[in-house]
Amino acid sequence: MKSGRIYKNLNLTVFTLVIVFLYIPILILIIFSFNNSKIVAGWQGFTFKYYQLLFQNTQIKLAFQHTLLIALLSTFVSTVLGVLAALGLENKRFTGRKVMNALVYVPLIMPDILMGVSLALLFNFLRVETGMITVFIAHVTFCLSYTIIVVQSRLKGFDNSLIEAAMDLGAKPWLIFWKVKFPLIIPGIIAAALLAFTLSIDDFIITFFTSGRGFDTLPIYVEGAIRRGTITTINALSTLMIGFTLFLVVITKRVRKLLL
Amino acid sequence: MNNSIQSYKASVLEQRSINNKNLQSWLLSAPSLFWLTLFFSIPYFIVVIYSLLVPGIYEVKFQFSLQAFREVLSGVYFKPFFLSFRLALFTTVICILLGYPVAYLIARSSEKWKNFLLVLIIIPFWTNFIIRIFSWRIFLSSGGVLNDVLLKLGLINSPLEIIRTDLAVIIVMVYVYLPYMILPLYSVIEKIDFTLLDAAMDLGANERKAFFKVTLPLTSEGLFAGSILVFIPALGAYIIPQLMGNQNSLYIGQVITYKIKNIPRNWPMASALSIVMLILIAAILLTAYSLYIRKVSRKRYEIRQNI
Repeated sequence: MKSGRIYKNLNLTVFTLVIVFLYIPILILIIFSFNNSKIVAGWQGFTFKYYQLLFQNTQIKLAFQHTLLIALLSTFVSTVLGVLAALGLENKRFTGRKVMNALVYVPLIMPDILMGVSLALLFNFLRVETGMITVFIAHVTFCLSYTIIVVQSRLKGFDNSLIEAAMDLGAKPWLIFWKVKFPLIIPGIIAAALLAFTLSIDDFIITFFTSGRGFDTLPIYVEGAIRRGTITTINALSTLMIGFTLFLVVITKRVRKLLL
Repeated sequence: MNNSIQSYKASVLEQRSINNKNLQSWLLSAPSLFWLTLFFSIPYFIVVIYSLLVPGIYEVKFQFSLQAFREVLSGVYFKPFFLSFRLALFTTVICILLGYPVAYLIARSSEKWKNFLLVLIIIPFWTNFIIRIFSWRIFLSSGGVLNDVLLKLGLINSPLEIIRTDLAVIIVMVYVYLPYMILPLYSVIEKIDFTLLDAAMDLGANERKAFFKVTLPLTSEGLFAGSILVFIPALGAYIIPQLMGNQNSLYIGQVITYKIKNIPRNWPMASALSIVMLILIAAILLTAYSLYIRKVSRKRYEIRQNI
């Protein structure tokens, strides 16, 4: 009995340490975004200055627009392709099943750097100038596996008796799809789209290898600023980005709850 | 006679419907198949081709050469590979040591607490990847908060040089990859029938023996999945060593990146090193069960969905 308690206490200790470990850096980052000091040093007083500077920075504005544009475009394309492929893979006797499964699952396990390098090589080989188009292609490529699997898992729980009922009532296949099946898989489609969107705005490595000079997304801009040491506004920017992702996550959970 | 004709007809019709469905599946999969072949598979062929060419200053020269592989075999790149391998190993082990108790505690708490604790663990990972790394630079840098606090408390006399060391790299690697360990572990621990543990202890096993003989084997699948999800991406780490590490000891991800980004560009060398990394990964995956791969990938997608 006594040893059981020791184990429980050990778990609790590790858990508390992990929570502290997870939260401290982020909290400090948020607090220091209000610090009236040019360098990262002790507390020099409260200020909103860096938030104001942030909104005057045209480079950041541009990077934000790029991030959003790429995220929206790649989400749209990867979701549409994902839904189609998932519907195709529903058929258990599909002769291309093995090939498709390999193409869907292998990218998931590869380190990002290999996908980045191989795409950089492809674009170099084809003499395509890196920029918006290449970043868009890369983002669709790494989102696609995820969207296919999300929609697929939603289709697995699908109640086929509904289709049979519609068929018995004499509905045409096309009508059955749009009136019965499609409405039922909409939650899966939305889940896939939200996942693709968050993956796209979070990506650094693959974008780093496929974006040319002059096409910065926010993560690329932040990394550059850290490297150049011009980090005064980065704390403020990071705090806003944390706020934005939290907002996005809350929305996601709401939407999911509403639909599922 | 009549019967057999009818059944033949039926089987022809059935075959036709199967063929139709198959065609339909091909058509529906075609766009994704095309996209992934063009932008996932073919790029690896180009990696192989480029590894056999001659480097120029900016572009490759289309001339056959085994120079890149000769360099690989000469052992110049042994150290970066070793460092990356060691980093991946340490990261995985620390993630297990921290992740197991956390996953266990969450999985065994009451339904009401479970969701709350899970969300508590996951919230930091909703923060942008680059910003999570950046936050550690602020925390650990020589003028940073940690040193400030330690100096004020009188625990140290001069700032600790944590940033730009392998220790800083490992800390941040663990920080970034921890959920990939916690979540698979959580999902297997949650499914354990804990009456088995009680049974083991009723039969005289102590807590420790019960853990090693019952709990651990039952959670091996999650442990395995988590380890792969941490180890393999960690092997290719680039930006964390770049922002946190010592620039005198490069990891393989950094070496590959420099070969592509720095001038003179050495595309063939970057390609050859990527191939070696691919072979390493393939070897790791094959030594592990190839059967597990699909399961693991699925886990990763489940995790990403939560993050």
